[in-house]
Amino acid sequence: MRRETRARATPEPMSETSVPESEQRGVEPLGVVVIDPFPVVRAGLVATIDASAGLEVLGQAGSADEAVGVLDGVRGTRVVILVAMGLAGDKDAYWLIRALREHFPGHAILGLGSNADPHVVSRALFVGADGFLDKNTELEAFIDGIRGAGAEETVIAGPAAASVGQIAEGIERRRSVGLRLTKREREVLAVAAEGLTAREIAERLGVRERTVTTHLARIYGKLGVGNRLAALRLAARSGLVSIGPAE
Amino acid sequence: MEDAVRAIVAAGHPTLRGVLQQACRDAGATVIAATETAADTIDACRTESPSLLVLDLELPDSDGFRVLSSLEDGDRPGTVLVLSDRADGDRVLRALGLGARAYVTKAEGLRGLPDTIRRALSGERVIAPALEQDAVLALGRMARRAREGEEVAAELTGRERQVLQLLTDGRTMRQIGTRLGISPRTVETHVAKVYRKLGVRTRVQAVSKAATLGLVEL
Repeated sequence: MRRETRARATPEPMSETSVPESEQRGVEPLGVVVIDPFPVVRAGLVATIDASAGLEVLGQAGSADEAVGVLDGVRGTRVVILVAMGLAGDKDAYWLIRALREHFPGHAILGLGSNADPHVVSRALFVGADGFLDKNTELEAFIDGIRGAGAEETVIAGPAAASVGQIAEGIERRRSVGLRLTKREREVLAVAAEGLTAREIAERLGVRERTVTTHLARIYGKLGVGNRLAALRLAARSGLVSIGPAE
Repeated sequence: MEDAVRAIVAAGHPTLRGVLQQACRDAGATVIAATETAADTIDACRTESPSLLVLDLELPDSDGFRVLSSLEDGDRPGTVLVLSDRADGDRVLRALGLGARAYVTKAEGLRGLPDTIRRALSGERVIAPALEQDAVLALGRMARRAREGEEVAAELTGRERQVLQLLTDGRTMRQIGTRLGISPRTVETHVAKVYRKLGVRTRVQAVSKAATLGLVEL
């Protein structure tokens, strides 16, 4: 699977058992930061990555807030950040990837999942990930994926590699829905996804109720749907909003 | 024993059509139709419901992609193998997104075609590793473009979007003003803001960038 899942071949596949030449010459190892909510998974990833030639774990975190703090303290021009898609809550994995993309444009961000749906991968790439590593991947390909990301490659490793077409379709769908709406309309839709009434949306956004209903009507028109439920389903399916409870 | 595989072969050139038919037969499939144009291929898929489609992407009347995008899921053959003169990541990605299971180039892939057809029929994806890598790279580019497009789109006001579209349509400042019921001076202000948000200096750059990002229709 290795060759198929890599965007480009790295110059020299490093052996796991011997110290690579690059390290002997004192070349900096590639820094990695692991963000996963499950302590046991995180510990396993950290140990595995640290044991791999040319890679060094510079930090780890179990939540989005923690991750931002850890990364602020990390030095290095290009660090590979692994973000588990299982991060949930208000600041979920998509939020974190978007935030990290903005704050650390030079770093590589890889989504991390297990047997992930193509639409999860699409959404991760759309919000700023440079690739996706599936935990259900051969170890060697997984580590190769991290190295590839360090070399500025796009990486899709594991079962998701068989779905690049569907992943692309998902991005295209998200794009076409997203581009039709203005920023304000997207804000309205995001708040509407929490299940609020027009009046509650108005209060939240500090506008009049009438303005909200006008926005909603225009959104329905642009998306070609007749009601709020249909609009939200379309937006959720394209990854434009997350449907869930209010904070 | 499984039912015989019913195949449709679509190619513009008669020689290529012959080669594809022979390859299908060698792979154990029965060729129920050999079509020359996209329109005929779409019709044939709808009426014959083949289980295999071997499709030349360079058809005389239209892009072979149109065949795949025109077919509803129910009319789309279970196995689609596409052939093309060209191989680049964007095309491979597009073909895969439209349900193709195998992508081969005419230069490289014709010799081993019966084997490729057999593997595709058994559910395997058959794409040269280098091509698949190109497709992943194209995926990365596509995601970056989509993200950038949305960021710019979020910055533009509705009025600025209208002005941008009219600029793309080749209207003058005066015409845009008349169309939108505002003064040419106001149009110029909008245009300046649009340029700044797109990070460009000229109309040509603006149109080209906006089209790349999918903000306007050409």
